[in-house]
Amino acid sequence: MQLDTQFMLTTFLHVLQGIPVTLTIVMVTLLVSAPLGFLMAVSKSGEGKIGRRIIAGYVSLIRGTPVVLQILFLYSLLPTALNYWIKEVLGLSYNIFTLNPIFYAYVVFILNTTAVLSEVFRSALSTVNKGQLEAALSIGMSAPQAYVRIIIPQALVSALPNLCNTTVNLLKSTSLAFMMTVKDITAIAKIDASFGYNYLEAYLVIFAVYIFLCSAVQGVFHLTERGAAAYKKPAVS
Amino acid sequence: MRPFHPQYILEALPQLILYLPVTAAIVIGTVFFGSLLGILLAAGRIRRGRVGRAFANLYIYVIRCVPSIVLLFLVYYGLPEFLNVFGVNINDAGKGFFVITTFSLLFSASMAEVFRSAYEAVDRGQREAAVSIGLTEFQAFYRIVLPQCVRVAIPNFTNALVNLMKEGSLAYTIGLIDIMGKGQLLIGQNHGSYSLEIYLALFFLYWGLTLMVEKGAGIWERHLTPTKQERGGVRKCN
Amino acid sequence: MLQVKNVQKAFGENLVLRGVDIEVKKGDIVVILGPSGSGKTTLLRCLNFLERADGGSMDFDEIHTELKGASKAVVSKVRKKTAFVFQNYNLFQNKTALQNVMEGLTVARKTPKEEALARAKAALDKVGLSERYDYYPSQLSGGQQQRVGIARAIAVNPDVLLFDEPTSALDPELIGEVLAVMKKLAKEGATMIVVTHEMTFAQEVASKVIFMDGGVVVEQGSAEQIFTKPKEERTIQFLRRVLRDYDYII
Repeated sequence: MQLDTQFMLTTFLHVLQGIPVTLTIVMVTLLVSAPLGFLMAVSKSGEGKIGRRIIAGYVSLIRGTPVVLQILFLYSLLPTALNYWIKEVLGLSYNIFTLNPIFYAYVVFILNTTAVLSEVFRSALSTVNKGQLEAALSIGMSAPQAYVRIIIPQALVSALPNLCNTTVNLLKSTSLAFMMTVKDITAIAKIDASFGYNYLEAYLVIFAVYIFLCSAVQGVFHLTERGAAAYKKPAVS
Repeated sequence: MRPFHPQYILEALPQLILYLPVTAAIVIGTVFFGSLLGILLAAGRIRRGRVGRAFANLYIYVIRCVPSIVLLFLVYYGLPEFLNVFGVNINDAGKGFFVITTFSLLFSASMAEVFRSAYEAVDRGQREAAVSIGLTEFQAFYRIVLPQCVRVAIPNFTNALVNLMKEGSLAYTIGLIDIMGKGQLLIGQNHGSYSLEIYLALFFLYWGLTLMVEKGAGIWERHLTPTKQERGGVRKCN
Repeated sequence: MLQVKNVQKAFGENLVLRGVDIEVKKGDIVVILGPSGSGKTTLLRCLNFLERADGGSMDFDEIHTELKGASKAVVSKVRKKTAFVFQNYNLFQNKTALQNVMEGLTVARKTPKEEALARAKAALDKVGLSERYDYYPSQLSGGQQQRVGIARAIAVNPDVLLFDEPTSALDPELIGEVLAVMKKLAKEGATMIVVTHEMTFAQEVASKVIFMDGGVVVEQGSAEQIFTKPKEERTIQFLRRVLRDYDYII
């Protein structure tokens, strides 16, 4: 077995340029999905029966089907559908096919991650003792005040381990973005490899890069957890 | 935009279903080999041995960080060359071999956690109590500890199984023809038309499979809950 | 000062309160006794609208309201005139002792921060926790947590303090410190309604004892009346049962 180390080095340097793309997808997805998922989690425990059914169906569908299928479906649907809408319905002359494909990646991963996060937040909210809400109400807080100041901060802390898992899974899923012609880490490695059939070397390189990125994500969450959960630490004295 | 033909979903479904056995075989093979490896890893984490534990922890950590598709490609392109060093030639192995190998590596990490948490969830006193009333070690394990472990393990196992089924759809990227691969073939044969219909048919299939697995697991779990067992026991006494 | 009439409450089929009347005057220490399931905790929770009664009315100083249909504004008014001490403390887990006490002042009552800080410290000092301002609930013992709970309640200067079995989640050796704080408050003239199983506390401190069973008030009167010459058979039986461990009292 001979590994082309020269190739691995140049590919590694190439792949580094893909890291910002990968991380951007992760960040944008989380920033949009977190509030959406939270709203869903809250409305799931709320009244409206029809709304609850729709949300439950959406979450079940997303969680019951492969991400790759969601990618393939939306990527073959969205560009033509959007083109039709812009040209025929809105009567604009914008050429949708010049749109940066990363937007399709945002759509897919946001749809997916929102469903996952709604479950994460729902279970986190249910871990906060009912007595916390009662105590807040009993000292005269309104329900929104009680949620913002007492319930949600505690729920977020207990959601952190699952948020970490979700982020790691999202990071891994972005490796499929190449199917939408997004130039992320995996896409760059694949392109480099295809010139001289150096697939093994190329994948070894991104294997290491993903381990590094994943460790970084876990490190960030670990630090956040330590900082945020000060109130869970045992007595000092 | 080209017209959408809902009836093609129904036409495609039977053709896709023909390949369900392939998907099932991949899943079953992976569950088998992945569980074997998972038991070893779980044992490594539970036992005192430092080296075994460090190795198991490292393995699980690495697997958790690597996207399935990257591992799949690594195994597909790398394993033949790696084994060649030892004089083993697997260049003629089928695609299924690489798929099952890859997903067994992935699945074993999840299973190690499933086994470990199930083992730790059952109170040690259960075995001691069983032995103290005269059961043998094997009887204590088989009749008392194991059923409780299984019940605890079902939800996590179901999760891992559903994930495996979903991730397994990536096998088409190295050319395996399961339901996903067949879908891609159909799309190719039609030069890209009907892609939406075929993807929708696949959505139905995968979603249905997931719901079935979850439903089955729920029934199994209820079957193992103590109240039911007690009821069964009473009936036997009568 | 506070009077409720004909309070009714059912959980599903289960009638928990079947028309309860109670009256509390300023400075009263009302102790509610009764076997578990008698509805005493539910009654207390209805007073603070943590539980919505199915029927009955409330007169609280200038407020007059039906319990069932009370508007949000009325509920908020009543809650600002009362404070609740919970059986399992319910301290805000994400806040320090001091923040727990300040929360009701700064957030619910818009008290300026300096004033809130001073009052919160005074309240914690009063319950003997001057050394524990910056401790989180998880760093405090059960007795200390409950004393923070009491400080949180008194800091808002409520007209009536409601205690829901404040010592029953505590280990025996920690009960004393909480009862001592409650006695101190009683001596200072606070108005209190206390649901408890602590018979000695009831005997020593109560200005009025209410015995409840099966969702109704069976008997009420001064501590002396209830403990030495109870009239109702159910009261006699209850006292005989719970005081068996306290032979020396009888």
